[in-house]
Amino acid sequence: MPWISEDRRHTRVAEGQPLLTESLKAVLRDKYFPRYPSKRAVLLPALHLLQHEYNWLPTQAVQEIAEFLEIAPAEALDTASFYEEYWLKPKGKYLLQVCRSLTCELCQSEQLRDHLSQKLNVDPGETTADKRFTLVELECLGACGTAPVVMVNEVLHENVTTDRLDQIIAALPEDPHDMKDPGMTWDNDGH
Amino acid sequence: MAFTEPVLTKRIPLDASQRKLIGYDDYVATGGYKSLKQALEMPPADIIKTVTDSGLRGRGGAGFSAGQKWSFIPKEKKGPHYLCVNADESEPGTFKDRYLIDHDPHLLLEGIAIACLATQCDIAYIFIRGEYHYSAKVLEHALKEAYAHGIFGGDGVLGSGKKVECYVHRGAGAYICGEETGLLEALEGKRGWPRNKPPFPAIAGAFARPTVINNVETLMCVPHILERGPAWFKTMGTPSSPGPKLFGMSGHVNNPGVYEDELGITLDYAINKLAGGMKGGAYKASVCGGISMGILGTNQLDIKLDFDDVRFRGGCLGLGTAGMIVMNEHTDMVKALRNCVRFYAHESCGQCTPCREGSNWMRKILDRILDGDGKAADLQMLMELEKTMGIMPGTTICGLADGTAWATRTFINKFYDEFALRCPEAPTKTIPLKVSSGRLNVLTPMGSNTR
Ligand SMILES: Cc1cc2nc3c(=O)[nH]c(=O)nc-3n(C[C@H](O)[C@H](O)[C@H](O)COP(=O)(O)O)c2cc1C
Ligand code: SF4
Repeated sequence: MPWISEDRRHTRVAEGQPLLTESLKAVLRDKYFPRYPSKRAVLLPALHLLQHEYNWLPTQAVQEIAEFLEIAPAEALDTASFYEEYWLKPKGKYLLQVCRSLTCELCQSEQLRDHLSQKLNVDPGETTADKRFTLVELECLGACGTAPVVMVNEVLHENVTTDRLDQIIAALPEDPHDMKDPGMTWDNDGH
Repeated sequence: MAFTEPVLTKRIPLDASQRKLIGYDDYVATGGYKSLKQALEMPPADIIKTVTDSGLRGRGGAGFSAGQKWSFIPKEKKGPHYLCVNADESEPGTFKDRYLIDHDPHLLLEGIAIACLATQCDIAYIFIRGEYHYSAKVLEHALKEAYAHGIFGGDGVLGSGKKVECYVHRGAGAYICGEETGLLEALEGKRGWPRNKPPFPAIAGAFARPTVINNVETLMCVPHILERGPAWFKTMGTPSSPGPKLFGMSGHVNNPGVYEDELGITLDYAINKLAGGMKGGAYKASVCGGISMGILGTNQLDIKLDFDDVRFRGGCLGLGTAGMIVMNEHTDMVKALRNCVRFYAHESCGQCTPCREGSNWMRKILDRILDGDGKAADLQMLMELEKTMGIMPGTTICGLADGTAWATRTFINKFYDEFALRCPEAPTKTIPLKVSSGRLNVLTPMGSNTR
């Protein structure tokens, strides 16, 4: 529900080292600027890039992107706050995303949610005390043929049961960047 | 009508364990990019005419003639034209575009290249939803191959001098970006707020330039139409809805998945022949093409799945994306509707009051009914709210609110007793479902004639 405004009185703006580093700027400049007739159109890719780097989007990052794209910080925040995938507050290392739409609900996704909730002792929307997991429910992940589904960071797991969920979680590496998508059979240079 | 062999899925084995990503070499070895060479020999107007003649209708939900849509693009070029490929696929029950992209991405790229030649587009943006991480990587990989083989960039399509660029643009988790003008806003780096029309995208779309927006499956039909001709395309489907179609079967069926057949098969055939029959109990209802289209009831197994029969006899909004969510006799329809309405309440972009507030009211009312506190007035309020929201009553900018309305309307119309039982003082008499016999579901300002 993107129209619900958040309290940003305590938002901290730019301080310390820049988050949009020279090498990230180079990616935006070389890869994304030539693609679009306006700089603002690079905003979504830029937010994705920085979120991939830092796991979430501190206001400082949004502000630096705005400066780089020559738009007002408010415009960048306006866009960033609309999309559910952008996290404007910190989240756990692993984002456990349980689909809750109709097919998954018919296929008992609520059991998966409750199982995770109990196992990790958090409600949907919350992060575990050790900052390792954030549990969220979200709308249709577009995999209804293999419902119920759970997405862990960028990897989709299909036909999930509570037992499989335990195995999936036990098998997660220490560093999320070491996760592998089992479907990928080629080298990827990232987005 | 006859569907004798797979078309869009001809390179994808039925056996899931045999499926793999089809790369450039495999694609070309099985006849790929032949239609593109053919398209290069044709004047753009001829490509558009061929597609128009085939009767291909958009597979993204609205069912608009693809050839006609292309013909709206100005012939005289005064600046860049854009193609936006709609791979946002977020409608619950829909997972066909992902299936196609994950296995046969080059078919999409060939369709894109042909569409760009036909409408003189310079850049194609594939707008893919943020959650499709794997599919986006598949596309990036396929694009790299296509660029290396001169399909895009360089000296123009296969060295022809007609240069087309193609990029992946990832969304970030908003259903509304599937609406075509919401998509354009997201592409331009803004919130995905649908635009008031006119101006239509064909005149002023992305970056205020003429823009074509097409669904993934629509574009994937195009290479086949060029190769085998409009007459062949029309041997499949019904006269007003020709061609092959992917049906996404999910829910309480034995073999859920994506199946290709022709338009106009019956719901009964889709459930029992394609998806292996019901699981866990007898058939009760089925979403007929993504939840926004509404549901088909227990006695509607004979409805033909094409763009018209689901509307005229089925009493639904349309075929939508042909994603069927099948429900067995043990399904709680009140809970199922609550799930749908919660989706709309969550995904409304917030611009129009009837959609933003209405869907949230409806969600709260349904929560209350589910908690056992339902009253007659609740049911009445649901039915009243449903009539006030959408493009059809003329109160909202985009069609998301029509989805909310039609889901609610068809659930309550077709399973009224179940709702009345939970709202003790509600009149128990079933409201009979009147089905339009006319050519169109004529809509009055305060609702539709299906009531
Ligand atoms: C709320 C809403 C969501 C939509 N979502 C999608 C979508 O995810 N994918 C899609 O192809 N079309 C979607 N559409 C339909 C598009 O607006 C548009 O009609 C379609 O992409 C045009 O392509 P086509 O003519 O090839 O079908 C949506 C429409 C609405 C009103
Ligand atoms: S109908 Fe709903 S989703 Fe569409 S523009 Fe209005 S508020 Fe946004």
